Amino acid sequence: MGKPTDLVQGTLDLLILKTVSLEPKHGWAIAKRIQQISNEVLQVQQGSLYPALHRLEQKAWIKAKWAETETGRQAKFYSLTAAGRAQLEKEAATWSRLSGAINLVVEST
Amino acid sequence: MQWPQQVWMRLRTLFRRNRFTEQLSNEVRFHLDEQIAENITAGMSPEDARYAAMRLFGNSTWLKEEMRATWGWLWVEQVSQDLRYGVRVLLRNPLFSAVALGTLALGIGANTAMFSLLDQVVLRLLPVRHPEQLVIVRETGNHYGNSFGPNTISWPMFEDLRDNNRALSGMFCRFPATVTIGYGDRAAQISAELVSGSYFPILGVEATLGRTIVPDDDAVPDSQPVVVLSYSFWRTYFDGDRKIVGRTIALNSHAMTVIGVAQPGFDGVELGVPAKVFVPIMMKTEMTPHSDGLKDRRRRLSWVTAYGRLKPGVSLEPAQLSLQPLMHSILEMEVQQPEFTRSTTPADREPFLRNRVELLPGSENDLRESMRRPLWLLVALTGAVLLLACANLANLLLARATAREREFAVRLAIGAGRVRIVRQLLIESMLLSAAGAVVGLALAFLAGRVLLRIYLPADAAAEFVVSPIPDGRVLAFVVGAMLLTSLVFGLLPAVRGSRTEITVSLKDRSGALSAGGISLRRMLVGIQVALSLLLLVGASLFVRTLRNLESLGPGFPTDHLLTFRIDPSLNGYSDEQTKSFYQRLDINLQNMPGVTSVGFSAMPILKGYAWQNAVLGKDFEGAPIEEQPVLSEVGPGYFATLGIPIVAGRVFTAQDVGPAKYAVINESFARKYFPGRNPIGQRFGLVDDMEPVSPDIEVIGVIPDRKYRDLRETPPAQAYFPYLEGVHFRFMNIYLRTQVDPRQIENELRERMRQFDPHVPVDELQTMNEQIGFSLRTERLVASLSAVFGGLATLLAVIGLYGVMAYTVMRRTREIGIRMALGALHSNVIGMVMREVLLLIGAGLVVGFSLALALANLIRSQLYGLNARDPLTFIGSAIVLALAAGSAGFIPALRAGRVDPMRALRHE
Repeated sequence: MGKPTDLVQGTLDLLILKTVSLEPKHGWAIAKRIQQISNEVLQVQQGSLYPALHRLEQKAWIKAKWAETETGRQAKFYSLTAAGRAQLEKEAATWSRLSGAINLVVEST
Repeated sequence: MQWPQQVWMRLRTLFRRNRFTEQLSNEVRFHLDEQIAENITAGMSPEDARYAAMRLFGNSTWLKEEMRATWGWLWVEQVSQDLRYGVRVLLRNPLFSAVALGTLALGIGANTAMFSLLDQVVLRLLPVRHPEQLVIVRETGNHYGNSFGPNTISWPMFEDLRDNNRALSGMFCRFPATVTIGYGDRAAQISAELVSGSYFPILGVEATLGRTIVPDDDAVPDSQPVVVLSYSFWRTYFDGDRKIVGRTIALNSHAMTVIGVAQPGFDGVELGVPAKVFVPIMMKTEMTPHSDGLKDRRRRLSWVTAYGRLKPGVSLEPAQLSLQPLMHSILEMEVQQPEFTRSTTPADREPFLRNRVELLPGSENDLRESMRRPLWLLVALTGAVLLLACANLANLLLARATAREREFAVRLAIGAGRVRIVRQLLIESMLLSAAGAVVGLALAFLAGRVLLRIYLPADAAAEFVVSPIPDGRVLAFVVGAMLLTSLVFGLLPAVRGSRTEITVSLKDRSGALSAGGISLRRMLVGIQVALSLLLLVGASLFVRTLRNLESLGPGFPTDHLLTFRIDPSLNGYSDEQTKSFYQRLDINLQNMPGVTSVGFSAMPILKGYAWQNAVLGKDFEGAPIEEQPVLSEVGPGYFATLGIPIVAGRVFTAQDVGPAKYAVINESFARKYFPGRNPIGQRFGLVDDMEPVSPDIEVIGVIPDRKYRDLRETPPAQAYFPYLEGVHFRFMNIYLRTQVDPRQIENELRERMRQFDPHVPVDELQTMNEQIGFSLRTERLVASLSAVFGGLATLLAVIGLYGVMAYTVMRRTREIGIRMALGALHSNVIGMVMREVLLLIGAGLVVGFSLALALANLIRSQLYGLNARDPLTFIGSAIVLALAAGSAGFIPALRAGRVDPMRALRHE
């Protein structure tokens, strides 16, 4: 199982929160979505995705609901809670500050 | 954080686990299916698509575990697994479990029973508001005068302290008395508490019915004929009659109005001596016709126990310190008074002025003081037994851990962590000790009742409510004991079990047993032998103490001796009526069938009481209390009844009535005050703080030294006066020497007394041996329990030693076979095993000896007639223990000697 790019520690939560912020999604769709948007650069391993989803649910940042997919199957859909939205904003702000800072350092010389 | 929601979600996953597990699987399967669908779309065959998806997904079982772990309930699941498994393991070995459970139940039960006895008799605080703020205010040092005990002060001193101190938020005082109650046609003697008006308000004790005694009741002596009943007395004696308030009952023939019933559970401030009624202290003259002290305001008569309440946040020491100047000014004043100068010599002034105030915890009393040490001792003893039981169990568990090595190896091989194995074993230990604690608690409840009955006077024991639901402290003790024991006996085997070597254990090992922590087990046996020696030495010291006390006795024959107490003055009899009552009673009882002689004594003997007074003569004068002789006033038949012979002179006769004063003294008195002279015809006087006296009492007889206060004492100097001429004649202790077993005539005697005078109740009717038996109850309890524990300990140690040696021999069968094949004799082999046995015992004995020697000082005060390091006891105990353990070790040694070399070698 190759890992094209290892996710920076702690960013998976941010990616998940961002992905489910638009509409409720199930785990498969979240993984696919992250892969597509990042132009196949970011590959989310199932081994990290599902524990992360459960951890976020337990922190009440996302909530889960069993619903039918367009193909008529039962799947567990995750959506953002109010607390999750606040957390997303916080983490997004932290991320852009951090990545901006790293950019500055990397591109300076 | 939204923690309520989180907790809710967590709980939901915990309690709907099946559904949760199913959902996890569904979620994972959905993902897989989507991947398969995608793979098929990409052109794979369905079969390949499935495998590819699964490859990509990885270990789904592991993932599900991870997801469950996220919810944080993994440990609950695992612990409940361990619990279920533990129960199965224990049930599979019913014999082992029963032995372990029984041992623990006995150990924990004995400890709990002892602890709750200690708690109830010694540790418990009074059931009042903020009992920890309550203090007894007493004066230390010599009092120079008459005293009702070390914790008492005089009434005027109490008033001075109460009215002038700034250290306490309030003070009250009390005096215990025995009164005769008459209600309807019943009469009985009951214990009463005479209390100051501030007693109830400061204690914070309310009335269940009516009102309590209040400060207004303190105003004028004799003016408040009112009484408050204790709740339990109201329930038993008056059947809980709510209309009792306002009614009149007779106390000592005085009409008293019942004004209320105190709150439930409150029986006065002296734990163990429950008061039935509370009377304003202003009624002292009526309640105690023998002595006053209230109205005559004598400062040299200390009789009230004074209590204070500390101000919130103030501790004992600073309060005590701030009371010293006040006490000193009171003493300065007292020392000027003629009362003081009359009862002392000029040399006594300085020490008296150095007397200080001392504050004691308010729940203290004499009973507690005397029982504290023996009870702590018993708690320590039972603790040692529990420790020993733990060592034994640890040994058993170690042996079992060896037997279960394969099981652990299998678990380790399929991925269990060593921590998990330790936890499994600890959980099993905890299951055992929890079950042991439950059974032990039931045992302790039963034992507790019996112990309290042995320990307290019958009526006091009845008042102690031993609740089947243990209170918080006892429960905390049990849980603590349970956790501690399971750790002590479970941890070692658990850690050892987890160190199992997988490869070694999984290989077939027929015959060869692993070392199995044998050195650990030897050490445990050594500890057991040491503890057993300690307990055996203690047991024989205590048993011999009891035997010494019993066999030495008081110095006169105690069989066929019956005693009781009467107090006709409590029935309102005048002095003349009382004297006539005694004279008639003396004759009446002498004519009773089965009675050979009758003796009257104002003071009870061997009950811890003493009337002491300074004496003066031609060439000696007053002395502090510990040097004062012990006095009593007795009837003509007293010495003959007790079986005390006359050494010189004569005893009193009925004709010895005033105005001349006579005394019979003992040999110690004669030696002390009339050395080198014939004591007959010598004169002495009793120091009186009210008036100067001259030596006007003539010695007419001398008796040998006999014990007076208790069996432990060296007989003090004693002097006896004719009872009808004395000052203490109002109540009497009567002794009857009988021809038959005194218990046979007890009922007859009661009936005879009722016919003689139905208004004077007979109190404390018992045989002398019963009275002595009760006074030795602490010694008997300590001796019998320590003997039982010592025996039990030896048994446990012997079993432990046998187990270890049997295992060693079994493990070395092959080695022994080789030795014998090479020419070793049976005796060589037996000797080899026995050397090990003796080494074990020896090491244990050495440790035990040093422990016993070190601890000897702690029990010195509990012993009588022998040294705490008595060599005979030490050596005897060691020999007994060595013989018992040695013979237990001899069995495996013999077995080793009988090993057949051919079979032992072929076995492998």
